[in-house]
Amino acid sequence: MKKISLSHLDRECYVETLNNGLEVFMIPLLDKKNYFISYATRFGSDILEFSNDKTKYKPPLGIAHFLEHKMFEQEDGIDPFTYFSKSGTDSNASTSFDNTQYICFGTKNFNDNLEYLLKFVNNPYYTDDNVNKEKGIIAEEINMYEDIPDFKLEMKLRECLYHKHPRRLDIAGTVEEINKITKEDLYACYNNFYIPNNMFILIVGNFSKEEANKIIKEQLNSKEKVDLPTIKNVVEPVSVKTKELTVKSNIELPKTALGLKVSTKNFKESDLELDLYLNMLTVILFGASSLFREKVRNNKLLSNIYTEWESIDNFKTFYLMASSPEPNKLIEEVKDVLKNVSLDEKTFERIKKVWIANEVKIYDNVDLTVNNTYDDILKYNEIIPNRIDIIKKMKFKKLQEIVSKIDFNNISIVKMLNK
Amino acid sequence: MDYIKKDLGSFNLHMINTEKFKTITIKILFHTPIIKEEITKRNVLADVLLQSSNKYNSKRDLIIAAEELYAADISTNNQRLGNYILTSFNLQTLMDKYTEEGNVEKSFRFLSEILFNPDIENKQFKKDKLDIAKNNSLMALDSIKENATNYSLIRMAETFDKDSPVSYRMTGYPEDLDMITEKTLYEAYQKMINNDYVDIFVVGNFDKKEMLALVKKCFKFKRVKKRKASYYLKEHKARKKRLFAKEEIDNTQSKLAIACPINKLTEYERNYPLILANLILGGGVDSKLFKDVREKNSLCYTVRSFSNKLDSLLVITAGIDKNNYSKTVEVITRILNDLKKGKFTDNDIEIAKEFYYTSIEELEEDEYRIIVEFMMEEILGLDPIVERLKKISKVNKKEIVKVFKKITMDTVFLLEGVKNEED
Repeated sequence: MKKISLSHLDRECYVETLNNGLEVFMIPLLDKKNYFISYATRFGSDILEFSNDKTKYKPPLGIAHFLEHKMFEQEDGIDPFTYFSKSGTDSNASTSFDNTQYICFGTKNFNDNLEYLLKFVNNPYYTDDNVNKEKGIIAEEINMYEDIPDFKLEMKLRECLYHKHPRRLDIAGTVEEINKITKEDLYACYNNFYIPNNMFILIVGNFSKEEANKIIKEQLNSKEKVDLPTIKNVVEPVSVKTKELTVKSNIELPKTALGLKVSTKNFKESDLELDLYLNMLTVILFGASSLFREKVRNNKLLSNIYTEWESIDNFKTFYLMASSPEPNKLIEEVKDVLKNVSLDEKTFERIKKVWIANEVKIYDNVDLTVNNTYDDILKYNEIIPNRIDIIKKMKFKKLQEIVSKIDFNNISIVKMLNK
Repeated sequence: MDYIKKDLGSFNLHMINTEKFKTITIKILFHTPIIKEEITKRNVLADVLLQSSNKYNSKRDLIIAAEELYAADISTNNQRLGNYILTSFNLQTLMDKYTEEGNVEKSFRFLSEILFNPDIENKQFKKDKLDIAKNNSLMALDSIKENATNYSLIRMAETFDKDSPVSYRMTGYPEDLDMITEKTLYEAYQKMINNDYVDIFVVGNFDKKEMLALVKKCFKFKRVKKRKASYYLKEHKARKKRLFAKEEIDNTQSKLAIACPINKLTEYERNYPLILANLILGGGVDSKLFKDVREKNSLCYTVRSFSNKLDSLLVITAGIDKNNYSKTVEVITRILNDLKKGKFTDNDIEIAKEFYYTSIEELEEDEYRIIVEFMMEEILGLDPIVERLKKISKVNKKEIVKVFKKITMDTVFLLEGVKNEED
């Protein structure tokens, strides 16, 4: 295991890649009582079509999420939830666009739980019966999300931003699509993507790294590396698909969203560096202490706001979603900020200070450390041991330079009004 | 973890010393018996105090000041606890060791400024700030149906007993919002600062003497107050016949919410067997509700129960297809009846106990959960944690069955999803 010190944080990360390609990341926080284990595959709803030398596959939409649910079905009849519960350990799983993870977290029985987590995710058991039984449960999950206005707003914005990219589709699929899923579809996806060279393990908290390492090797060393299938990529145009869309929904307080699609081909910065500067830009423009927020607050134009950057191949996309009694006025204010980007160095330096303080807080908590590290592994394929140093070195000039290359007209706007 | 309580006359200071965190967390808690018509004003008051202060004239100035304190995190919230409303002002800031000399003291002074030096003139809050806070409240009220589960719980409680505090909407009421003026809000502020019962909790790695001196310096309350009413609500008598109620919502999914009053709980039952009973019924992924309603019958994605010992109430909630309504109620009724008959195993009890132990161990990792624990010990006179672990380990099946028998399914509320066409 390679030891990597996380600078300025008094924390260490241990990293190893097994011969079969499985990556292991461990951050012991021995001053905590709890632990968190994640066993993850880089398989999510982004993959719509794939092929290996023998066959082409185009499974129904929502397959990655369906597979995640069905992982909890075991041939021996023992329900993983029940197994973990014996030691008062919580367990769960989640599927996203680009990954699926299986997690357990608690304070007791670490070694045994780690071993079991690896075992159960390595033992799929799909039958016609258990596949059919899940359809009702997942249909209700899809219905639940469909009723959440913020979720609907985000999906509408995704449909406007992307022409072809699967990020315009719901991770869980549709009720119609999931009803077509068979056990053969599930095995095909499992065998192609739940392979060591497409998976990683992240462990944070109170545990023995030596024992964890031993268990991981015992369980997974014998798994063989398999060639990853060829994934059919879509070519996503630079422009947004739809500039403006108005939808009606069962809401009383209207909502509005703006997406900015930025092509990364003009930037020479590393992915991490670019992410930091783009984040800095939107924190200065739309963050809690921004002039924009002060103005819309005083004009009573804003109820709540959510912003986020998303990374996909060749693009960084900014999402801004808000509730407002006057969505037209609010969106004009947002557009105005983007049209006349105004940055000052004093704010830039203050936000750097905030970010550095937040890093210290993150590594003081098991869950936050997990979230942060998990994102880094997915985005950058590694942990970032010197983020504080990188933040300290950020230059205002560089921010201005990056901003000058962004086409702020490449935006989509969605308004969601009451029926 | 080392706990010391100091009675400082006008408030109690609870110092929880632990080396676990790089931050210092302080919570200032105002308690007063809840009055339905005052909830909205209380929400607006908490919001207005965080809009500006005498020193920081706008919310932006205030946020910048917090950012300059190495991202000090400041928040406020209102919650109901039985018969009381609790308004808290929270601040979390990095220790001096990780920032600079005096950061904690400056952060405490910042919180003190917000609480004791509000943005007022002529003994009134300023109209522009009040308007912003009132508008925030109004927008929150307008969005109340967006979280359908929460809305179903509110409507269920109102159907169950419209006069009881369990049915009070913590988002407030539009008609009360109209009544709030710069002057009445200032009176509410004076009342809170001068008449409410106050507890201050501090968690982190600090020197107790220095912390005591710092808190005394920053937070000065004038009067000595005594708690009056009990925190526990009066028990609800279950109806002779189950009450079924429905309301339509323009959604795909329907939300089922069931109120189950619990009668004649002893203090011991409230604090021990009830916790296990709820965990067995619907506390998590290994509960009877999850295994039966979701896994066996595929009727839902979410189903759970939670118990409230102050309200003597257990609530069951599920997201279902409206066509499965009768079947879901039937399955839940059967599950509860089976539990009353003792149809659960020692293993079920052991699993529930293990979850309880884990939750107690985990709470040491979260500053705000630590505070809630000591707060509950303080106001409800709960046993200390060590004692609780001992007592829960000894709870037996007979005691849990006895609690199940005291639970009655009373009000079955369905927020029925009736999807209308969309553009």
